[in-house]
Amino acid sequence: MFPVYLAYCIKNPVGCIAVFITLLPLILIIYRKAYIDPSFKLLLLYLVFKLIIDVIMFHTAAMHQNNLLYFNIAIPFYYSFLSGMFYFKFSSVAFKRILIASMIGFLVFTVWDILKSNAQLHDLHNHRAVLFAKTVEGVLIIALVLLFFYEIIKSLQIPNLLTFPFFWVCSGLLLYYSSFIFIAPVFHYTATWNNSVDLGIANTIPTVFEILCALLFSIGIYHFSPANYAKQ
Amino acid sequence: MQNSEELKWALLVASLAMLTMAFCMISFVMYYQKRRFEEEKKINDIEKNYNRLLLDTALNSEETERRRIAQDLHDDIGTMLSLTKLSLNQLSKMTGSERSEKEDQIMRKSQSLVEETILHVRRITRDLVPTTLERFGLLEAIEEFIHKLAEDNNLTISFHADMEEFPRQAQKLELTLYRIMQELVNNAIKHANCTRIEIRLEIKEELIGLRVTDNGIGFDPEKMKESSMAGLGLLGIESRLAILNGTVLYEKPEKGGASAFAQIPVMPVAEVKLEPLHPFRRERVNV
Ligand SMILES: Nc1ncnc2c1ncn2[C@@H]1O[C@H](COP(=O)(O)OP(=O)(O)OP(=O)(O)O)[C@@H](O)[C@H]1O
Ligand SMILES: [Mg+2]
Repeated sequence: MFPVYLAYCIKNPVGCIAVFITLLPLILIIYRKAYIDPSFKLLLLYLVFKLIIDVIMFHTAAMHQNNLLYFNIAIPFYYSFLSGMFYFKFSSVAFKRILIASMIGFLVFTVWDILKSNAQLHDLHNHRAVLFAKTVEGVLIIALVLLFFYEIIKSLQIPNLLTFPFFWVCSGLLLYYSSFIFIAPVFHYTATWNNSVDLGIANTIPTVFEILCALLFSIGIYHFSPANYAKQ
Repeated sequence: MQNSEELKWALLVASLAMLTMAFCMISFVMYYQKRRFEEEKKINDIEKNYNRLLLDTALNSEETERRRIAQDLHDDIGTMLSLTKLSLNQLSKMTGSERSEKEDQIMRKSQSLVEETILHVRRITRDLVPTTLERFGLLEAIEEFIHKLAEDNNLTISFHADMEEFPRQAQKLELTLYRIMQELVNNAIKHANCTRIEIRLEIKEELIGLRVTDNGIGFDPEKMKESSMAGLGLLGIESRLAILNGTVLYEKPEKGGASAFAQIPVMPVAEVKLEPLHPFRRERVNV
């Protein structure tokens, strides 16, 4: 078993780092007790979920099996966790309602997308990545981040953004999803079992930014202090 | 798109463009936030300075007004009273032998009344303007203040200064400390029901501290500020201190009573004397 993993790691080092770097912010959240903030609790859940999915995908990839099913299934969950974080950051009730509606709507949309992309669902070997859902997820998350930035500027309550944990989290998300937004739909066509068009560096950009995103999360969580949170 | 090489480049360019935008967005938010904060702070500073100036002017004009009243009292009423005393004395001498007992009594009563009034006027003028403070400094002034109060014999007031020679401070600072001390002691006498008051004065590295402790019933300053019971005294202390960047801290010592600790940073002594009005320079000559 182990040599198989090792061989995969050597073949795809950046992807492997991206899988296991998730542990860093995850441990930091627990260590800094950031989970007392509901937003960070959701981030913790997101990271745990992401780690599980990534490890499963890592395992199946090492075993040379098609793992795109997990990739597809994870999309609505990622969106729910991440947009849930914003749920606690905004105060407007109308906005919260829209957010909940968008979670449900997005779930339905993803299921539809999976079904549409895979006419034969039971044929797991030829399972394909979704065409729209990942991009839509990116657009929605970026929109949320920008909204939050607008709120920050408008309310003017944070004296130093560099020590404000959630700003780092938002920056990480913004960068990661920006890097992914154009590549996601291409996956639908390229990441198939028989016809693997090599995207080369374009393929690694999102992975690199996934790592960067985890690092930015870590910086943000590092700045978290329960005392400060209590003051808010 | 057939050519995968072309596709690769297109994707790369698009992703990089998107990333650049994201970077710009983040930097913009950081920059804009910082600038707005600085502006806000500047405005706040201006407002604070303005308020302080207002307060300063108000207190200054209060002192000036006190001086004016003191001078008027001294110059007009004081002079008239002196003249009245003189006339009465003359009258007493002129009618010396031919007065009946009753007349003699009335005469003596008027004389003592006038004398008492003169004393009262002098006391009031002295209370209005702390002359000792201006002439001899804080230590003397506080000692004099205590001395006057010490006549009430079930109250002991002790005063302790850190050093023998307390260097003279800027006039404004001395006056502020003196008025604060006055209010704190007055409060202790009025509200605390105490038998001992202790005043301490100390200089610690650029900070002058004044501590007034009593052994009375004590009070909770937080509650006092919120409740409508608060008078002008504690507020006045705070506004006086705000002008000089000072702070005040109320404590509740374990043995009971109340303790207030005011701190003011030392200021350079100003060369110019504040007020031209100085009714008491002439006082000695007059008396
Ligand atoms: N040393 C003290 N011991 C107990 N209570 C005090 C003491 N000093 C102040 N207080 C309480 O705090 C209240 C507020 O004091 P403050 O000096 O502001 O007002 P005041 O003395 O009642 O009125 P003013 O000073 O305007 O004549 C007082 O009413 C009193 O109840
Ligand atoms: Mg008072």
